Amino acid sequence: MEMTQKLTFESPSFSKRLKGMLGVDFYRLFHTPLFYIFLAVAAIIPAMVSAMTVMPDANGNVMEPLYSNVWQIIATDTPLYVVNTIAEYANMNMVFIFGGIMVSIFIGHDYKSGYVKQLFTTHAKKQDYMMSKSLVCAFAMACMCVSYFIGGTLAGLLVGYSLEVNPGSLLLAILGKMVMSLGWASLYTFLNVIFRRYFGVSIVSSFFFGTGILIIGAAAIVEDLALPTSFLNLFLYGSSVNACLTSNIGTFITCSIVSVAWAMIYNVAGTRLLYKSDVY
Amino acid sequence: MNAVEIRNLSKNFGPKQAVCGLDMTVPMGAIYGFIGENGSGKSTTEKMICGLIPTSGGSIRLYDRDHTDPAVRAKVGVLIEAPGCFPGLSVWENMMLQAANLDIPNAEEEVVKVLKLVRMEGAAGNKYKNCSLGMKQRIGIAMALLGNPTLLVLDEPLNGLDADGMRIMREVLTDIIKDGTRSILVSSHLLGELQKVATHYGIIRHGKMICEMTAEELDAGCRTYVALQTGDRNRSKALLSCKYSRVEEDEAGYLRVYDRTTPEEIVTYLYDNGLCVTEIKTDKIGLEEYYIDLMRGGK
Repeated sequence: MEMTQKLTFESPSFSKRLKGMLGVDFYRLFHTPLFYIFLAVAAIIPAMVSAMTVMPDANGNVMEPLYSNVWQIIATDTPLYVVNTIAEYANMNMVFIFGGIMVSIFIGHDYKSGYVKQLFTTHAKKQDYMMSKSLVCAFAMACMCVSYFIGGTLAGLLVGYSLEVNPGSLLLAILGKMVMSLGWASLYTFLNVIFRRYFGVSIVSSFFFGTGILIIGAAAIVEDLALPTSFLNLFLYGSSVNACLTSNIGTFITCSIVSVAWAMIYNVAGTRLLYKSDVY
Repeated sequence: MNAVEIRNLSKNFGPKQAVCGLDMTVPMGAIYGFIGENGSGKSTTEKMICGLIPTSGGSIRLYDRDHTDPAVRAKVGVLIEAPGCFPGLSVWENMMLQAANLDIPNAEEEVVKVLKLVRMEGAAGNKYKNCSLGMKQRIGIAMALLGNPTLLVLDEPLNGLDADGMRIMREVLTDIIKDGTRSILVSSHLLGELQKVATHYGIIRHGKMICEMTAEELDAGCRTYVALQTGDRNRSKALLSCKYSRVEEDEAGYLRVYDRTTPEEIVTYLYDNGLCVTEIKTDKIGLEEYYIDLMRGGK
């Protein structure tokens, strides 16, 4: 049989490829319930934590309030790398924990449905995939930060906490955490690429890293080596904690640099892994 | 120029060699039936062609270019295991997403065209998760056809289909190559169905290509046999087995004599032994029997 049509070969440009993939990922994000469920979770969690502090127990005793200020639900007063109480821990950084679960489910569907096979068979490059997932999931987590802010503020106002704050620092803290979403999303995308065959392990590992538990080890090393604690800001969790109610523009710049740097590291590592391994 | 040209391809999974020294040629415009038992290396080979698994050695060239070249990748459509659809979205949405991924201009027009080609134009609004298996297979082919690829790689597209589904699938496959611009590499265990559409065959065993041929070569290579019915099947079989080396009974109750002989000779032999032949015909073995013979080491 002879070809009736002359074959022409054309490599799609990077912008074309990324545009197509981002379009698909954003469409999926907005047209499936997953994103909205996690937005609701992000708003409900701070409300629940705040409500717990004013609910009387069986004997009619009311717990000691966890916070003295509405904005402590959003961020701590100072950077607390190692926390002692739940109040010091329960702030907007929790978005990065359940954000990790959302990313695992979102990416897990790619593999379960065979979407990645379609993608990598045609023109898509592995780096496009890492980049697209990181950007879309970072957007989703940034939206969850906003949702958390609304839920936390409303809950704090209802409970009657003080509103006293430096508005500039508050804004920079929130923006800093939103910017950190990119680094976290890249980490979770990378973890999901590693554990792509094991959906459960992906979720557990995302949760594990999201809790920032590794910062304890890093803090111990920093202490042993007599390094300044600001060294911990080089890590994702450290910078996320650093975005606190005493933040300044320097904090925001640090957050941006750390987030982008880690995003690049995880994207490169994920791309290399995808190139070297089988697509299931 | 061939659509696919593979030379000395190998793939190891740890100590296990899934594909070893495989050669394969899929001409342009062909429906290439890729046959082999479970674990013979069919899917692994297909995945390597699609760039889903890195090779351990050898070369894969698509249209005379390396198979990893992004320009040639854009010419490949694939249905391997799952079609890549999101269950909560409609068939139309899934198709449009794939079209967006491929940055297809006039996406709506193109989606309508491929849905029509796979006889799915009426089901575009259905949620993917509500589609039957046959529909899902055809949607998978439609997805693979988006972007006007010239090479389709289909892994077991006939699996789980009912008789009508198979008929539709056969029609779809022949329609796809009708204009002569596309080639299809299709693997299947349903050899009888494959034989109805394939123009070329490749038989793989233990990761090696043991035989490649055209449909005409298969037809010429398929041995003839004599099928007959008599009044006393058991006695006839016993008698024929004394004279001929291979006598078998098929599902329809015919006795088949595979040795080189003629109906006249068999009729005379049985008549001389007091048996009357009620029906006799000559026929050729099909792909399935050819394949079984080949696997047994016969001709």
